[in-house]
Amino acid sequence: MAGAFVLDRAVILERLGGDEEIYTMMVDMFLQDVEHNCASLAAALAGGEAPSLQREAHTIKGLLATFSDEAGAAEAYVVEQKAKNGEVHGLDEGVAVLQRRLREVASVLQAAR
Amino acid sequence: MHTVLIIDDSDINLTLIKALVLKLGECQPVLFGNPLKALDWCRDNVPDLVIVDYMMPDMDGLKFISAFRALHGRDEIPVLMVTANDQRDVRYEALLGGANDFLTKPIDRVEFGARVRNMLSLRSGQKFLADRAKHLASLVEERTRDIREREKELIFRMSRAAEFRDPETGAHIQRMAYYSQAIAKGLDLDEAVQKLILEAAPMHDVGKIGIPDYILLKPGKLTPEEFEVMKGHARLGYELLKESGSEILRAGAQIAISHHEKYDGSGYPRGLKGNDIPLFGRIVAVADVFDALTSERPYKKAWPLEEARHFLEIGRGKHFDPLCVEALLAEWELVLEVRQRFADEEVPYI
Repeated sequence: MAGAFVLDRAVILERLGGDEEIYTMMVDMFLQDVEHNCASLAAALAGGEAPSLQREAHTIKGLLATFSDEAGAAEAYVVEQKAKNGEVHGLDEGVAVLQRRLREVASVLQAAR
Repeated sequence: MHTVLIIDDSDINLTLIKALVLKLGECQPVLFGNPLKALDWCRDNVPDLVIVDYMMPDMDGLKFISAFRALHGRDEIPVLMVTANDQRDVRYEALLGGANDFLTKPIDRVEFGARVRNMLSLRSGQKFLADRAKHLASLVEERTRDIREREKELIFRMSRAAEFRDPETGAHIQRMAYYSQAIAKGLDLDEAVQKLILEAAPMHDVGKIGIPDYILLKPGKLTPEEFEVMKGHARLGYELLKESGSEILRAGAQIAISHHEKYDGSGYPRGLKGNDIPLFGRIVAVADVFDALTSERPYKKAWPLEEARHFLEIGRGKHFDPLCVEALLAEWELVLEVRQRFADEEVPYI
């Protein structure tokens, strides 16, 4: 279980070349898409399609990494790899963890706006 | 302005990459969330750089690169693939499949800028070389055209040198050359062949340069011995032009030696018969005689056109190749036009 998400704005900004405009745009998009991403994860799990779940977990991994959430990205990686190996059953908990993580990150980003 | 094609099924990544591309300046991003639609776009558009995500529904980045490279003229366009840090196997596969470089997620602006600039610089180099190659090709084409023009002028002047020693006029070589072209057209020969005979036919009598004046300029009828010497001009012309590096001169050599052959085998210098006579010789035989008949000479009046036509018709299969006569008659309008265009006093070169 990953620890609480801590926003490290400086590190994210450094990666974006100090560009506040791009940073703000990224945050806005993350907040807009977070529920859609959670829903896509749930739908992939419900459908039992390993490639689809692998892809969704991969997308979440990238999103969380963009906001320097290495712990969250690692959780997404675990789900992605299990889905890649066809181990879809028993991933309910992993998907729920990712959904909670997405919402947690969104909440922290929202609070920091 | 560089066109940068960005393909990623994630809106946030598309937006991020687009923003970073715009920050580089001199770039026009084109975005696609669906790789299949991007591929469709690529059929009619040529990007300067492709940035493609690996993991996408419908078609992954590797398959996209492979399909993109298979499009005509897209094999050298730089492609950057976006992958996660943990996808080393994908990176190897992409390298083998045609990606030029990688971007790792999360995207770092400094790394992104350097890699994209490198790729665009590679593209600029490709374009520069392509433009230079095109420029050089057009220069070569221009120079070749100049050389060919000079070659044509020299051929014309050389042919004129022979004509000056002859009662025939400069306009004669123009007319018979264009008549030869008209016959080639009537025979449905390629346009390039029609042009070749037009340019080579003026040399048909160039061998007359080697005929002594007392024979060439003799006002009266030649004795049989003198006529034998006169007939030598066909071989002389051939010897002068044969084995040239110029296709036109080689065609001229063939015409020189064969334009006095007759279809029934009674011509000279080799007494060739029918299709053993080179085609250009058979064509020029008709054109040369037709112009000689319809032109005025110091020793004769010009024949009326209908009489000249009749002469050709009765000579079919005897003096002339019947198909060449038919071809001239089929292009009669063109023949009349040439006749009007090159009256005897005009001698512009072809």
